[in-house]
Amino acid sequence: MTAYNTITFDPSRCKSCNDCDACMTACSQIKSGTDDLLYSRIKIIAGMNGSLPELALCRQCGDPECTKSCPSTALTKNEQTGVIDWDKSLCIDCLLCTVGCTYGGITYNMTLNHVAKCDMCDGDPACVKACPSGALSYVTSAGIFNDQHDREDLFVPGLSACQGCNSEMIMRHSLRKVGPDTVLATPPGCIPGMGSVGFNGTTGTKVPVFHPLLTNTASMLAGLKKQYNRMGRNVTAMALAGDGGAGDVGFQSLSGAAERNDQILFIVVDNEGYMNTGMQASGSTSYGSWTTTTPVGSEMKGKRTNQKNLAMIMMNHNCEYVATASTAFVEDYYEKLDKALAASERGFAYLHIYSPCPTGWRFPSSQTIEVCRKGVETNFAPLWEYERGGELRFTHSIDDPLPVEAYLNLSGKYRHVSEEQLQHIQEQVNERVKTLKRFAGLN
Amino acid sequence: MNSTHYLIAGASHAGLEAIHRIRLIDETATITVVTRDARLPYSPTILPYVVSGQSDPDRVVLRNADYFKNLNINLITGDELVAIDEANKQVTLQSGDQWHYEKLLLATGADPIIPPIPGLSEASFHVLRTMQDAINLRTHAGSAKTAIVLGAGLIGMHGAENLRHAGLDVTIVEMCDQVLPGYFDTRAASVIQTAFNSNGITMLMGSRVVKVEQQAQSCQVTLENGNSITADLLLVATGVKPKLDYLKGTSVQVEEGILVDRNMRTDAPAIWAAGDVAQAADFYQDKKVMMGILPDAVTQGAIAAMDMSEDYTLQPYTGGVPINTYTFFGQQAISVGQCMADDQSEELTQVDDDNHRYLKILLKDNQLQGISSINEEMDAGVMWQLILRKIDLTSVKDAFIARPLETGRALMSSTWR
Amino acid sequence: MASPALKTTHPGCAQSIVCDGNEAAAWAVALSRPDLVAVYPITPQSSLVEYVSQFIADGKIQAELMNVEGEHSVLSALHGAALAGGRTYTATCGPGLAFMFEPYWRTPGMRLPIVASLVTRDGITPQCVWGGQQDAMTMKETGWIQIYCETVQEVLDTTIMAYRIAEHHDVMLPVNICHDGNYLSYGVTQVDVPEQAAVDDYLGEKDVNWHVALDPLRPMAVDPLTGGAGGIGPSKFVAYRKSLCDGMQNALGVIEQAHQDWADIFGREFAPLVEEYRLDDADYALVTIGSMTGAAKDAVDSAREKGEKVGLIKIKTFRPFPIEAMTRALSKVRAVGVVDRSVHYGWNCGPLYQEVLSCLYRTGKTISARPFIGGLAGADLTEAHFAKAIQATATMWADETTIDSPIWLNEND
Repeated sequence: MTAYNTITFDPSRCKSCNDCDACMTACSQIKSGTDDLLYSRIKIIAGMNGSLPELALCRQCGDPECTKSCPSTALTKNEQTGVIDWDKSLCIDCLLCTVGCTYGGITYNMTLNHVAKCDMCDGDPACVKACPSGALSYVTSAGIFNDQHDREDLFVPGLSACQGCNSEMIMRHSLRKVGPDTVLATPPGCIPGMGSVGFNGTTGTKVPVFHPLLTNTASMLAGLKKQYNRMGRNVTAMALAGDGGAGDVGFQSLSGAAERNDQILFIVVDNEGYMNTGMQASGSTSYGSWTTTTPVGSEMKGKRTNQKNLAMIMMNHNCEYVATASTAFVEDYYEKLDKALAASERGFAYLHIYSPCPTGWRFPSSQTIEVCRKGVETNFAPLWEYERGGELRFTHSIDDPLPVEAYLNLSGKYRHVSEEQLQHIQEQVNERVKTLKRFAGLN
Repeated sequence: MNSTHYLIAGASHAGLEAIHRIRLIDETATITVVTRDARLPYSPTILPYVVSGQSDPDRVVLRNADYFKNLNINLITGDELVAIDEANKQVTLQSGDQWHYEKLLLATGADPIIPPIPGLSEASFHVLRTMQDAINLRTHAGSAKTAIVLGAGLIGMHGAENLRHAGLDVTIVEMCDQVLPGYFDTRAASVIQTAFNSNGITMLMGSRVVKVEQQAQSCQVTLENGNSITADLLLVATGVKPKLDYLKGTSVQVEEGILVDRNMRTDAPAIWAAGDVAQAADFYQDKKVMMGILPDAVTQGAIAAMDMSEDYTLQPYTGGVPINTYTFFGQQAISVGQCMADDQSEELTQVDDDNHRYLKILLKDNQLQGISSINEEMDAGVMWQLILRKIDLTSVKDAFIARPLETGRALMSSTWR
Repeated sequence: MASPALKTTHPGCAQSIVCDGNEAAAWAVALSRPDLVAVYPITPQSSLVEYVSQFIADGKIQAELMNVEGEHSVLSALHGAALAGGRTYTATCGPGLAFMFEPYWRTPGMRLPIVASLVTRDGITPQCVWGGQQDAMTMKETGWIQIYCETVQEVLDTTIMAYRIAEHHDVMLPVNICHDGNYLSYGVTQVDVPEQAAVDDYLGEKDVNWHVALDPLRPMAVDPLTGGAGGIGPSKFVAYRKSLCDGMQNALGVIEQAHQDWADIFGREFAPLVEEYRLDDADYALVTIGSMTGAAKDAVDSAREKGEKVGLIKIKTFRPFPIEAMTRALSKVRAVGVVDRSVHYGWNCGPLYQEVLSCLYRTGKTISARPFIGGLAGADLTEAHFAKAIQATATMWADETTIDSPIWLNEND
């Protein structure tokens, strides 16, 4: 199997463009040397009855119907690029390919007298470059799959995570990348809760895995790493911890290990609370959030205090490496994971992954990545990294963020939030960005 | 006794799709494919273009030898089924080889109908179903100056046009009053016929052939009205029908073709059928029909294979919808679904004779029943899906009638996310 | 920092030094060659970890030293190192032990042969920083082996023996070597320091994570969720619990053998479980624990001189409780006075007293008993205090009564 790069379309961003046609003009220009939109192989179509715009564009299907309906072998799926290539010299203009396509991705151009389709401009699509709103983007994360898919998934199949669980994805991605010469500690929480350490004599992980206390993950790994160093063995000491175990009750050991610069890869999966035990609040729970211990009633409207920003606290420990990450930006995460892994050879490396929880936050399981994405795009969960002795560096632009409602509106846990609370949250987000900018040397 | 888990008879679109689907979920089971052609697989649709010289026989191979090798599929060419012993799950091939199978897919396609015209069987004539037919016809066309084509169906029309492109004077003889009956309405057919006429093809419509006589270097065809025409070359394209001799003694039920259910199962155990050989559910009515359409063969092959390999994602066949995308002399005629209105359907037509453009939309209960067009941009696949999925057009009806292409694209795009 | 060496006096002995109990323990740690020592200071343990740290700084101990941010992490780091195959050591007491409780409580279940000195300290509140066994006694039901020392020399010797006991394949349990804060931590005396080679022979090759490991070369899940009411859960959980209890019982024999072998090599004998002192012809006896025993023996000697037929039973191994040895000793007398250095709140007595009562039942005899509580929060327990205890016990023996209300020996000091 090979994965491929792809053009993605976010109609909500396109909507604000008001028929800008930039993408279609760019396509017509590069493919036919004209501004006439008839030649464009990408078509933005007004949505039906005022809904969001739609897109007619070759989806470069994985198991394409157009190629199967082609009697002349003019259409073939390119195994290297994933693009469905069209060979004019073979085409007999039978149009059977258009029968196979459900999305208007290959269409007959009556002026050209043949079919035309998107060829992704050899990996540098003109439409994406022309798009002024970010509605079109060229996603290259397929490379991650191609690089990683031969590596073994070191968790067993069938972990009992909730549907749409972000943590399970983080775990599988991370451990696959870090590799088998690892001792993994997963303190009580969703991660062992879904069976990673197993039940009754079974295991859920193919590397040595331990259920440390909620409170002692970092110090336990510190002792373990010291012993392996003493034995001359290179073993990665890795933690996959929740925000409560890391930032609340386990914070002392985390802080101690960071201070000692113990060689640990410490990954925090932050779902803003104790989701595994029934959605209770933690220090990382954001202001206004409904949880089962910060409920909504006549006297109380969700959490009344601001969240602790653990990543910033860890940066102030001057660790070897500290970064925030989001599964909506996987390439960014993989880069940071590489850096963190390397840093953990030198000392303490800390990764903080925002991990929205469909079950606890009350959003549909299909929306996990979208919530992740909006968290970043509203600056609620900015992406940055810090290397010892350097400055904080943003890895996703913090300029022109979406209003924080775009993030809050996705989760039921903020449904009750009042205007005043909303304003407070927006102010918090602004302040946090301002603080981060100071660390980044920006003002 | 040879043995294979999956035995696929036929290596055209249905058979090839079946192999692909099986291998998607079963990487190891043995698969054997038997095709009567000595060549690697090709599409019958390509043949008229081989005749004209537009397509090179060596460049239209649908799957090369490496494909079969890489998927560990045993491809047997130049052989075909002659008998099935369904009780013992065995087949006998023309070569005498016997194969035991666990699951058998019949995708053997159809053969030309040779009409019972006196003298025809003694005459030298062409059909166009195999690559060898096409090569023979192309060779003959190189030395011929005139041609008669019997039949104005798809093969006849494509054949005639490509013979014309090859430089011959061509006459089409068709019993019906219109070309491409069943695919297009009379108005569309007349646009097509006009194009043929204006490109120098003689169209003898409503003409029945009563006699064929072979002469030294030519062939004389006598019509019912007493006229006779002579040409260097005769192409018989009066339709196709499956050859089903090998089913003798089995419990496979047949009418025009092999009767199958919505999972492409025949009445015999462990035997499926798909493509031109199969007679499967119709989309519109409770009956089984012969489709003979390439994309439909792919669909049927996929469904059969998914059922055979117990792929739980199988969606049963929704029924055949007639589809035609027909390019003739640089023009396009497209028809998806029904082309003729009935009592309950709403018919909307737009005609632009000056530009040879024509559009007809048939709706019933605000669902698309059929759409046909000439020289209009039209995404046949989008329209096919609107029909198959019975998409309710109530809220977008005006827009659809005004701009079926864009509206259809928007509707299908909205199903993507 | 270490005391100057004196001439050697015993076989297998490298040198004699004058030092306190905390330094003696540090010497034992040095000789036991741990891989990792994690420290956090607390009175009256502090000088012990200072000695150990200095020994590491000086290269006398070639161990990893972890200066961690609290006792909770101290023991957690030891968990990690032990699971990776390391021999480990730490020391704590009092509030530090209380803070360590969460990983402490868990250690026996993981069968990690960690050795930790408890420089015993009384419990707060009232706030106090002095000796007493309330801290250790509070932990008696956690599954750690607890061995209480009487002398500085015994601290040194037993701390080494502790690794032999803990790492025995039939035991695989953590061991607390308890030595009384103030009396033993700071009490200075001459001790013999064994030869390194002899100790190496005595302890043998370490093999601490053969049964459970966090090692990529033999991956396993350590401590998956176990138990519940369904499937194999209940029986699995019982299997773990029961094997821990079995390990505790196995430890009794292992402790005896460890002491026997020690005596054979180093010439110093200590009663491994229960010591009987002038007991064979005694009418009644005192039961003691830890460093108080010296003064108690003096009091027994004095009473003997006055014609009282009094003996003494000292317990060394408190967990596992040496039921048979204690029962055997108790059977020899008709009355006992049990002196505790801590309180058993539930029974209004000391914890040792409460356990002695259980053994009395097993003697099949009617033996009078009375609890004494003394030496709390650093208070002295002198010969005079024990004389008072002897007298009270003698009265009880004469009256053939058992009085459960305790005599607080320092009540009027």
